[in-house]
Amino acid sequence: MQLKRTMGIGVLVLVMALILSACAGIAPQAAAPAGEPAAASETTTITWAFWGSPEEAASHKMVADAFMAEHPEIQIEIWNQPWDDYFTKIQALWASGDTKVIPDVAFLWPTPRYAAEGVLENLDPYIAASGYNLDDYWPGLLESAKYQGSVYGFPRDIEVNVIYYNKDMFDAAGVAYPSDDWTWDDFLAAAEKLTQKDANGVTTVYALAAEGGKWAKWVNQNGGAILDDYVNPSKCMLTDPASVAGIQFFADLMNQGYAMRPADLNQAGGDAAVFMSGQAAMILQNTSRVSAFNAAGMNYDVAPAPIPAGGKRWNGAGGAAWVMSSGSDNKDAAWTFIEWLQSTNGGEKIYTERGEIFPALQSVANSPAFMTDQPPANKQAIITEAAASDVGGFGYFPEWGELSGSIIDPGLERVWAGEVDAETALADICTQVDQFLADNGYPK
Amino acid sequence: MTPHTASRRPFRWRPDQQWEGYLFILPSFLGFLIFIVLAVVMSLGISFSEWGLTGFKGFAGLTNYQQLMRDPVFWQAFWNTAFYIVTIVPLQLALGLIMAVGLNQAIRGVTIYRLIYFMPVVTTIVAGAIVFRLLLATNGPVNSLLASIYGVAGIPFSAPNWLGSSDFSKWSVVILTLWKNTGFTMVVYLAALQGVPKELYDAAHTDGASAWQRFRHVTLPLISPTTFFLFIFQMIGAFQLFSEPFVMTRGGPANSSLSVVQYIYLAAFRDIRMDKAAAMAWVLFVFIFAFTLFQNWTQKRWVHYESD
Repeated sequence: MQLKRTMGIGVLVLVMALILSACAGIAPQAAAPAGEPAAASETTTITWAFWGSPEEAASHKMVADAFMAEHPEIQIEIWNQPWDDYFTKIQALWASGDTKVIPDVAFLWPTPRYAAEGVLENLDPYIAASGYNLDDYWPGLLESAKYQGSVYGFPRDIEVNVIYYNKDMFDAAGVAYPSDDWTWDDFLAAAEKLTQKDANGVTTVYALAAEGGKWAKWVNQNGGAILDDYVNPSKCMLTDPASVAGIQFFADLMNQGYAMRPADLNQAGGDAAVFMSGQAAMILQNTSRVSAFNAAGMNYDVAPAPIPAGGKRWNGAGGAAWVMSSGSDNKDAAWTFIEWLQSTNGGEKIYTERGEIFPALQSVANSPAFMTDQPPANKQAIITEAAASDVGGFGYFPEWGELSGSIIDPGLERVWAGEVDAETALADICTQVDQFLADNGYPK
Repeated sequence: MTPHTASRRPFRWRPDQQWEGYLFILPSFLGFLIFIVLAVVMSLGISFSEWGLTGFKGFAGLTNYQQLMRDPVFWQAFWNTAFYIVTIVPLQLALGLIMAVGLNQAIRGVTIYRLIYFMPVVTTIVAGAIVFRLLLATNGPVNSLLASIYGVAGIPFSAPNWLGSSDFSKWSVVILTLWKNTGFTMVVYLAALQGVPKELYDAAHTDGASAWQRFRHVTLPLISPTTFFLFIFQMIGAFQLFSEPFVMTRGGPANSSLSVVQYIYLAAFRDIRMDKAAAMAWVLFVFIFAFTLFQNWTQKRWVHYESD
């Protein structure tokens, strides 16, 4: 509540958009060293937008340099923003409609939301013309970058959630390391032994720390679903008994004190922090934690996630994608760059070697770029989970972000906080989801 | 023409002088036109249109408003905001007044105390929120303190989950907001208290009024214009609460601390629904305007101006 005017709020949105578009014009900075001679007249310059920390930006710059070495006719200008600012700023660039400032290639999530706004280029004609191989992507992954059946982006990586476990803590508790085919029952048995509680029954060491957002794994493993169709949904499926049981399994882990509640996990600094400090023996997370744990010299390994009896292995197929702006003034050069980024020996390889990603391309995952002798030893566990990738983690229609962000995830937070059981919360959520779908004209 | 203006020149257009005057106000007036007037008018237009990232897609009539009325999350945000108003505004006025009265005394080091209480106002909200998140953690200092107090009193204590439960999350936001803003209320009240004529207290004292009676019948009426100002100001601020829930709880859990302005932000930049966001902004504006008018109308009953 700083200084505010009565009228101020009516204009919040617009003023922000106007100011942002005014500031955006000066943002791009050249990736090339300042001392480099002026580009020859036949070079094409394309702007490349991504979010990321300084470390991530260093990898991106390496990729840009490698590309420019192979393609001297194309110059890459980098436009880098922190995650918190990236989306509002890039929206302002697109909203300006000015081809001079619109990035030609951008990193984006979720693709369908932006494709529906008409700011992204349909990549189908480029794929057809160049014969680009779509079969190298993990199953279901490209669905996350499609809109109305056409490809609008190439996911750079795939989120593969596996169990990381602290070998020292398993040894101390006398628990056998997880096998590649362990079940929910095996997991519960291990969790009971790994959890340590004080005299009042309050957990001091947790068996598992998992973000609330990982819940879709339990639902899909158990044969449940979020929606009946993830492109053109007609109804919520979370009240299905298999879905309810999946959510309740996660909730019970918390209610029994085996798993940290997501709000507590957040306060404790996230899963990497509690895993490294020994507050949790296991975490369920994607491969982004590997470099931190290796740098800390932890004695750990990974295992596939446990699956329920009669259930199936499932990994949600999704990852942020490289897209081309429909307002790009250098589409051919932009395509050349995107195609190179997403090739076995191009950008994918560099990102993978630097430990930034688990690659979207199966050929890169099975190459020495990923199969190194660095920990974790059980890299096959990651491949196993990745091969079980499928749709089911999120919707591929433009309103999904609003539906999940305003209704589904907030509704589940009450379950994670232990305030209501899964059945009650999901009944409430599904009522709201069905109303939301009807309100937005689904099924279309 | 009345006698005392007889010596002045009658008003007439003097381009040689006025031209410069308009030139002087032009920069800020242009800014006002573009960033306030134009934006306000446009946002009204947008609220009746279908409007996405690239602009106008078609007229929508009342659709955005109708969607809003059916949106349970909007109503949740609306009632959360109502909760913030009815808790934050009175508490802030009461605490600010108590602090101001306390610091209006001739005590040693009063300037230091005033400085300390005002410091949160100029502190970055994000830094404040980080500290409060630590203080209010489930096993944090606040709960430890409460546990020991309950322990001494022999009452069983179950630690409240300040940030992670939908029963307490709003209170966490209220606590942060009070910490941040009460200092401002205090400073304004201090100025008002120092404007109360001392002879009125002397007169009341002579008439045998107790300290409480002096406060109730001299101080309160004389600072009522300040109370009125603060009331309107803080109420509008509470209507527009954004940073506090945004940094403290992100609106969660289960949207239990989501404010309307936060939802406007999400609609605009997460969902790319500029039209819905504009409609919400106008609904909020209508409420703020109506409440302010209502306050202005009731002020006759309780606000005393010295000239009356």
